[in-house]
Amino acid sequence: MTARPWRLAILGAPALFLLVVFFVLPYGEIVMMSFRTPSSSAPYGDGVTLANYARMFADGHYLGILAETVAVGASITAICLLISFPIALHLSNVGDRWHTLFYACVVSPLLVGVLVRNFGWMIILSFNGPINQILLALGLIDRPVRLLFTVEVVVLALVHVFIPFMVLPITTALRNIPPSLYEASRSLGAGRFATFWRVTLPLSFPGVQSGVILVFVLAISAYVTPVLLGGQFVVLMPTVIVQQLIAAFAWPFGAVLAMILTLSTLTCVLVFAFATRGLARRAAIGRTP
Amino acid sequence: MKARLILGLAAGAGLGILYAFLLAPLVVVVLASLSGGEVLAFPPTGFSLKWFAKFFGHESFRNALWLSLQVAVTSTVVVAVVATMAALFQRGLSRNLAGPFRTLLLMPLLMPEILTAIGLLFFLYQIGLGNTYLGLQIGHVVITLPFAFLSITSALDQVDPALEEASASLGAGYGRTTLKVMLPLIKPGIITGGLFTFIVSFDMFAMSFLLKTVGGNTLPLALFDYLKYDFDPTAAAAATVSILFALAVVALVEKLVGLRRAF
Repeated sequence: MTARPWRLAILGAPALFLLVVFFVLPYGEIVMMSFRTPSSSAPYGDGVTLANYARMFADGHYLGILAETVAVGASITAICLLISFPIALHLSNVGDRWHTLFYACVVSPLLVGVLVRNFGWMIILSFNGPINQILLALGLIDRPVRLLFTVEVVVLALVHVFIPFMVLPITTALRNIPPSLYEASRSLGAGRFATFWRVTLPLSFPGVQSGVILVFVLAISAYVTPVLLGGQFVVLMPTVIVQQLIAAFAWPFGAVLAMILTLSTLTCVLVFAFATRGLARRAAIGRTP
Repeated sequence: MKARLILGLAAGAGLGILYAFLLAPLVVVVLASLSGGEVLAFPPTGFSLKWFAKFFGHESFRNALWLSLQVAVTSTVVVAVVATMAALFQRGLSRNLAGPFRTLLLMPLLMPEILTAIGLLFFLYQIGLGNTYLGLQIGHVVITLPFAFLSITSALDQVDPALEEASASLGAGYGRTTLKVMLPLIKPGIITGGLFTFIVSFDMFAMSFLLKTVGGNTLPLALFDYLKYDFDPTAAAAATVSILFALAVVALVEKLVGLRRAF
């Protein structure tokens, strides 16, 4: 049954209004802002200029931070994938009775704010926290060491935050593999390892691909974790952007940095998708019955 | 046989470590907030609820908790209504219009929250809503809309079209069918979507950080400010309060809808 067009329009109007005005226009505003002239008395001036971009490219400092941000994002994504795959494998095989419990274990961290989860790591890694105590007890160190405020800790905490985003798409992909393929593989004489290597792994690739893209995008744009667990020692792009916007009130330059971050992220994602298109195609062929 | 047993045990232990890794920070925060000692330490010394008393006695935490609840409840109500309407709208659209509409609605979920927040910071300032409560509220609604939309559309997809036809053939118009047949059928989706909206809004950081009103902290912002200067179990109590809200949401979803249907 269909509604009359004007009735349908009323149903869609609030969501369309909200997203066009408060989502699409603001993104357009980032682009516009990056071409505005800076001003010392207001967040931005009236003129139009390319100088903000010129300043960014002339200053190696910002490009260095951008490179470091991409590198940190890539390592977070890689570690996340290594940890998430076994969890997804387990989750897709676990019996119905236990499924809800393990599923809840993976999903529940998602329901708790990033800040709270980071704070948990602050306690664990603090000066008199359990890790230092264990290291002391084992005699590996003779006084507590500073574990916080390093890039490694930021990576650890972000891997923890993003695991569910990697596990869920891979689990879905694994569950979509027809069981008959495993039987066929076994009856053709393949062992468990060969089956995993030649059936499970290639066919899970669509899940891996979306998980990798999702986590990479989130990792590159993470703000609160690097600030809280990295302090002044870990300076990544989102931190610098927010500094420009909030502390320096240099909105046009902040917008330029945001644009560069977005464009680099997009480039990385496209390159990844292009480089792995063969794997994705193979998985698609394997899936057709 | 023995080798296989050892391999199985090793795999089990490995998985145990991975699941422990997932839950460790949350468990540590909750236990640390129940500490009877004076410093933030793990394992905690003794047991007391005094840090919760301190948290609720702390004026800026109390105000922040109140503001967070206000923003989250408003988001939930607004988003539940708007997302339900949008889901019904999508169902009524032709296939080649429904796709782009769905993509647009899910965009805030696909774009990094911090970028959306930066865009809104610029835009709200220009229309005179910079650093206002309304601006903050709009930011929360934009980010949470896709969550509710996803769970309501998936409930709507499971509705048998025959029920709609039956309602129509018995003489009910579109409005009556929607109110009396569709809405009751998709109620579980609306409840789940609403509860997720609440918790996502309650925990939101980047958006609140950039759009906050002067002196108006939400709970995550207050905790962030507090952690800059203090590192004591009051912070753990603040964090535990937000974990309790998350648990309450999960319990409510389980009771009202059933977790299995929700995911």
